[in-house]
Amino acid sequence: MGGQPLYLEPRLETRLRALLASPGLLHTLTDALGSPLNLVVPDQLADNVQRFRSVYGTHHLAGQVFLAHKATRSSALLRRLAATDAGVDVASLGELQHALGAGLTPDRITATGPKNPEFLWLAARTAVTVSLDTRGELEQLATLVRKHTLPRTRVLLRLSGFETSGVRVLSRRSRFGTGMGEVDPLLDTVERHADVIDLVGVAYHLDTTSLTEKATALEGCLRVLEECRSRGLRPRAVDVGGGFGVDYLADGGQWERYTTELTEAVLGTRPPLTYGGHGYGLRNEGGTLRGRLGLYPAHRPVAGARYLDELLSHPAVSLGGRPLAALLLEHLYDLHTEPGRALLDQCGLTLTRVLEVRDQDAGGPLLVRLAAKADDVALEEHGVLMDPVVVPREPAGAGPGTGTGTGTEPVAVHLFGSLCLESDLITRRTVFLPRRPEPGDLLAFANTAGYCMDFHATRAQHQPAARKVAAWQEGGAWRWCLDDQYWPTTPVGGAQ
Amino acid sequence: MRYDSITEAIGNTPLVRIDRAVHGLNNIDLYAKLELLNPFGSVKDRAAWNMARPHLAAMAEEGGQVVELSSGNTAKALAVLAGMHGLTFKSVTNRMRIPEIKDLLLLLGAEIEELPGQSECLDPTATDDPLTLFHRTLSEPGGTHLHTDQYFNPRNTEAHFTGTGPEIVKDLDGRAPDWFIACVGTAGSSTGVARALREHDPAVRVVGLVAAKSDFIPGIRTIDEAHEVGLFDPGTYDTIEAVSADDAIEGMLTLNRRCGILAGPTGGAAYFGAVRQLREADRELTQRQSAAFIVCDRVESYLSYVRRRRPDLFGSPRRRNSPADLPESAIRTAPAIGVTDAQAWIATGEPLVVDLRSPYAYAALHIDGSVNIVDELFEELLHGGLPFSRNRPVLLACPVGEKSARYAALLTRMGHPDVRSLTGGIIAWRDAGAPLVRD
Repeated sequence: MGGQPLYLEPRLETRLRALLASPGLLHTLTDALGSPLNLVVPDQLADNVQRFRSVYGTHHLAGQVFLAHKATRSSALLRRLAATDAGVDVASLGELQHALGAGLTPDRITATGPKNPEFLWLAARTAVTVSLDTRGELEQLATLVRKHTLPRTRVLLRLSGFETSGVRVLSRRSRFGTGMGEVDPLLDTVERHADVIDLVGVAYHLDTTSLTEKATALEGCLRVLEECRSRGLRPRAVDVGGGFGVDYLADGGQWERYTTELTEAVLGTRPPLTYGGHGYGLRNEGGTLRGRLGLYPAHRPVAGARYLDELLSHPAVSLGGRPLAALLLEHLYDLHTEPGRALLDQCGLTLTRVLEVRDQDAGGPLLVRLAAKADDVALEEHGVLMDPVVVPREPAGAGPGTGTGTGTEPVAVHLFGSLCLESDLITRRTVFLPRRPEPGDLLAFANTAGYCMDFHATRAQHQPAARKVAAWQEGGAWRWCLDDQYWPTTPVGGAQ
Repeated sequence: MRYDSITEAIGNTPLVRIDRAVHGLNNIDLYAKLELLNPFGSVKDRAAWNMARPHLAAMAEEGGQVVELSSGNTAKALAVLAGMHGLTFKSVTNRMRIPEIKDLLLLLGAEIEELPGQSECLDPTATDDPLTLFHRTLSEPGGTHLHTDQYFNPRNTEAHFTGTGPEIVKDLDGRAPDWFIACVGTAGSSTGVARALREHDPAVRVVGLVAAKSDFIPGIRTIDEAHEVGLFDPGTYDTIEAVSADDAIEGMLTLNRRCGILAGPTGGAAYFGAVRQLREADRELTQRQSAAFIVCDRVESYLSYVRRRRPDLFGSPRRRNSPADLPESAIRTAPAIGVTDAQAWIATGEPLVVDLRSPYAYAALHIDGSVNIVDELFEELLHGGLPFSRNRPVLLACPVGEKSARYAALLTRMGHPDVRSLTGGIIAWRDAGAPLVRD
């Protein structure tokens, strides 16, 4: 196999660990419902909401936690969310209908993103809060509310293009939101439509992992809110969007070792670690490494609720150096957050069946074909490198490998999808598994509920999209139902 | 010594022997090359001057900007050199993690641009990494940029090949040391010095030090980051070892406290790495050997860096009248008053209302007639004693009634007979519909 296996083991909390320790259940499910199969764990979502709430508590902040709906299509997760006190952020007509149908009341829904007239109408009709990107959208909403005599609509203004003094913090340009230079005419428009528009606050959402950029944006929002107040408007909230991240890996040491070896593989000082020598954005130019590692920082100890905590503790440089949380609190603003991936951390996994395990004539990694397409397990699409967990068909000790020495040693494999397409690779990297998988075994990809489960899945080549199952624990045993059969009343211990 | 320009003071730094009682090596003489004594404060003065010098005169005629990717010492030296020639300087970086250096650069007139963080919703097909964009702007037509390109510029290495390296040999009476230990940043000093020493004696053993991967040590790259440096060639080093931030600070403290060398963490890392490496060789030696390492820069710029990692080094004496000294029970039982009663009390005109929030928040909305003393300042005042007369009742207000309870308890303990905390704070006040004003 060449050297030590370079594992990237997934971080598993109690529920996912317990599920993976139930091979009988997982095989029964895939035998009945096919491969790939998505499993969601709704109760985990409620725990995650609680973690965010406790950060609010630490900083004495009020406000709402909105799940970014776009990260999952699951009905079970949304209905479980409805049974908590959290909200949802919807970005399409379909998502809004889904959220209303799942039991989320309009006071717990924010409508964001690109909007068509139908989406705007339903949002205004049901009195959800609308996050507006531009002055044009504000005019469009005001016209719609008047024309259809809808109730006065609560709006947030999404801002972008924040600037700093002293050090210029470069930030990727966003196609959403109104630039800081356009705020005055935007507020003029808000005032002009005061009879149909109720300004409740401002919002930003930056696609970055950088705390500094987000702190800059939050400071910018505070200045705009101050401008609103001086105009006599009464905003009361800042929506800081999402992007709190997930810590995918169990072991930071593995991640560091892997990325170092990947660098060396790109430089040619060790054997390749990827199919076809792919460099994940890195390349070798005359012995010097060029490019940028295009990977999600999969080991990320400060992620999710902890990231929010760090952001809130970050000093506001342009406003006297007080922590941002203290400023929000002192100005009497509520804090809204829109975590997607972070709220869905540990909320599900994707099961795939091994169809074929082939040795290469020339040696090298085993070729493993799965009953799933690359788009069914979209970890690679998000640059998340994480090993699947082997769930053997036969209980340990009873398999065909017993006593022969095969199937007990670590192996290097390439994982292929089931499409008739050269590029259908579940991942381009060489994956190390603690034992040789056999046809019929399952490979379980953990922590796929946020974006990696159904965001990219297609029905290409008439192959099935994964079915989805909701699972929960009851009296020490796992129970399950199809995702769209799940309601908070379904578990026997639930609210019957 | 008389100079016509400060740039003449670059180089010719002392080589100082470290006391054997400090490093404990019996058979090796260990020397520190004091690059911190360069005029702008670091080893980078040499490279910056050598890279910029050929172009500065011509640039000064037409005006323009010196540009470099640097988070520290190179930027500092280039900012000074650019200013001396009537030019501006811009540093583009994603590694500016030392606040003092950032402030110093701004003070020197530098412009700083920070590269954006990684995208949270990764687009694996994106090809425009920030550095590519940086190089693209430099090559835009009409630009008058001098990009010194320290990670790839051979004149960086040359400064040390012709300066630092030969100086060490000269000070060791014409002999190269048996060992040379250097931290790898741009790899300019380690590569240049190694080449000069080996030209003198091919048997010189060169140790490269990199930062442990999960750690951040200013001026030192991790092994992965070193591979991104054009001047870095692993073949330069007989061995490459990692140093942790804790080790670097330990080494720094030894140099600071026992050797009188006010080195920063980079020099500390070099000292620590040197002694660790040499200890083993020392045991087996039968004849005397010598070793040299580079002390890159000074400690003063890294106080916040050290404070974050080693708060114990800054243990300050406890001060009296601190809210932190109060037991939780005292805070829970602090005298307090609800919104409705507080309104009635204020209407009597008796209490002084003190709003503990920041001036920005106070300016936006506050209780009519209140005074603003931000909590940090209030705490400072209390160290000196009661700031109000005992016969003046006081109502303290903060956002949620938490800090005000703390200070009400403290003032009570200090002997104020009638101080109360506004229960639920300004938020409860607002939620009860009580009036807030702007002045």
